[in-house]
Amino acid sequence: MDDDEAIARSLDGDLAAYETLVARYSTLAHRTAALLGAGDEAEDVVQEAFVKAFRHLPAFRRDAAFRPWLLRIVANETHDLTRSRGRRADLVLRLGAATDPYAPDDPAGAALDGDRRDRLLAAVRGLPDRERGAVVCRYFLQLTEAETAQVLGWPVGTVKSTTHRALSRLREEVADDLP
Amino acid sequence: MTSHDPGAHDGRNGEPGPGSGRSRDHDLDGAREPERPGGLEAELIALGALLDVPAPPPPDLAAKVRARLQPTDPQEGRPLTDPQGSRLPPDPQESRPLTDPQGSRPPADPRGSRPPTRRSRRSRRWKVVAGVLAVVVAVTAATPQGRAAVAGILRLAGVEIHLDEEAPAPLPGAALLPGERAVPPGDLARHVRFPVRTPSALGPPSAATVSDAGRVASLFWPDGVRLDQFDGGLDPVFFKRVGPPWPQEARVGGLPGWWVQGTHRLGYITRPDGTEVPLRQAGPTLVWQRDGVGHRLEGVPTLGRAVAIADSLK
Repeated sequence: MDDDEAIARSLDGDLAAYETLVARYSTLAHRTAALLGAGDEAEDVVQEAFVKAFRHLPAFRRDAAFRPWLLRIVANETHDLTRSRGRRADLVLRLGAATDPYAPDDPAGAALDGDRRDRLLAAVRGLPDRERGAVVCRYFLQLTEAETAQVLGWPVGTVKSTTHRALSRLREEVADDLP
Repeated sequence: MTSHDPGAHDGRNGEPGPGSGRSRDHDLDGAREPERPGGLEAELIALGALLDVPAPPPPDLAAKVRARLQPTDPQEGRPLTDPQGSRLPPDPQESRPLTDPQGSRPPADPRGSRPPTRRSRRSRRWKVVAGVLAVVVAVTAATPQGRAAVAGILRLAGVEIHLDEEAPAPLPGAALLPGERAVPPGDLARHVRFPVRTPSALGPPSAATVSDAGRVASLFWPDGVRLDQFDGGLDPVFFKRVGPPWPQEARVGGLPGWWVQGTHRLGYITRPDGTEVPLRQAGPTLVWQRDGVGHRLEGVPTLGRAVAIADSLK
């Protein structure tokens, strides 16, 4: 059952079809909420977002992609949460990551040694909110510029420029040994 | 916190791209950017993979969301949202593009944050059912929850069913079983101390969990069907609170079982202190026992189908 069929069935009141859709996007939605600042409250945010998404499904344009539409709702819920508690949860490295260096497929030398990784993470944490949001969407979630624009509710040009500024800032912060 | 400020105008630094309007539909699935990430961009992608993002197993979330959307009138059998969506008030915001920088967001639906109100409907049928139950029901004056009168308690296969005179209030939210964690469906048998079976009438399960240090094994199918198998023995494992219509008797492979129609309060009884942990509103459930193992099959809408699935356990 593809997204479109699942949505069509959900609109007919088929909760099992919607359950399939929820399961399909659950991991991505959690990741989005957690990285945008919900932290360990991501589960509540995501549950709320899926309930709202179901209630707003009649307003979903069927020829559009479901993924960014859903993530927009997740981002909004996350924003409401972080605004209400006055801060974003910090980005946290997975337990064990410190002793388990990531070896990317890219042979161009993108491997992060522990020290540089920690400095880069600290630099991302220190970004202004908008720039951090752009970095999270574009690199941590690997969304396209167009998807990022939709999820954050910005024009694509703003995504481009904000991402560009964030990269410049990060480059300065961790400048010494950049290839 | 400004990241969603509608008033932010750093769009001046970049031309409004083609994706700023409704054309988003066309470029979202195109080439994934960045196509050739530079050093720093690749490092950021690598860093993202190392970030800690705890998430529950997808089937758990899906079940919780479903439980919140589920109609609570067991007699009605359809969701509260009608297919035409006319339940949603027309909202001018919804017609605005989602990329609108003003941040058109789905309006907060006050009903979205809590389960729908129960619309209880008394069935005349419960009197007939009660007549059948009288033979086996141990009548008790106990009122464990202190609110509704309990007309009786059924115990079968490690499940204790409290029969209330009136429908108990539905449980808001949903909780996992104690220590519930996902395991590959094929490995489930290794995690529990009793034989686990799979119904051949359903396809392969999409997920499995084991709970409470191997006391409960659960299998899930994508259409909301869930089979719990548990070491029932003499001690109850699950408790249910139901109002009329009360459970009806069923036969599974010639053995007695109970069919609990409609949604009902489900809880879990922890050993050894007998504490009851409320779990969630459960869907229609068939309860039976076989070879000392308790079974509850949830989410199959009709008794006939549920029994057919139960009979197909291999």
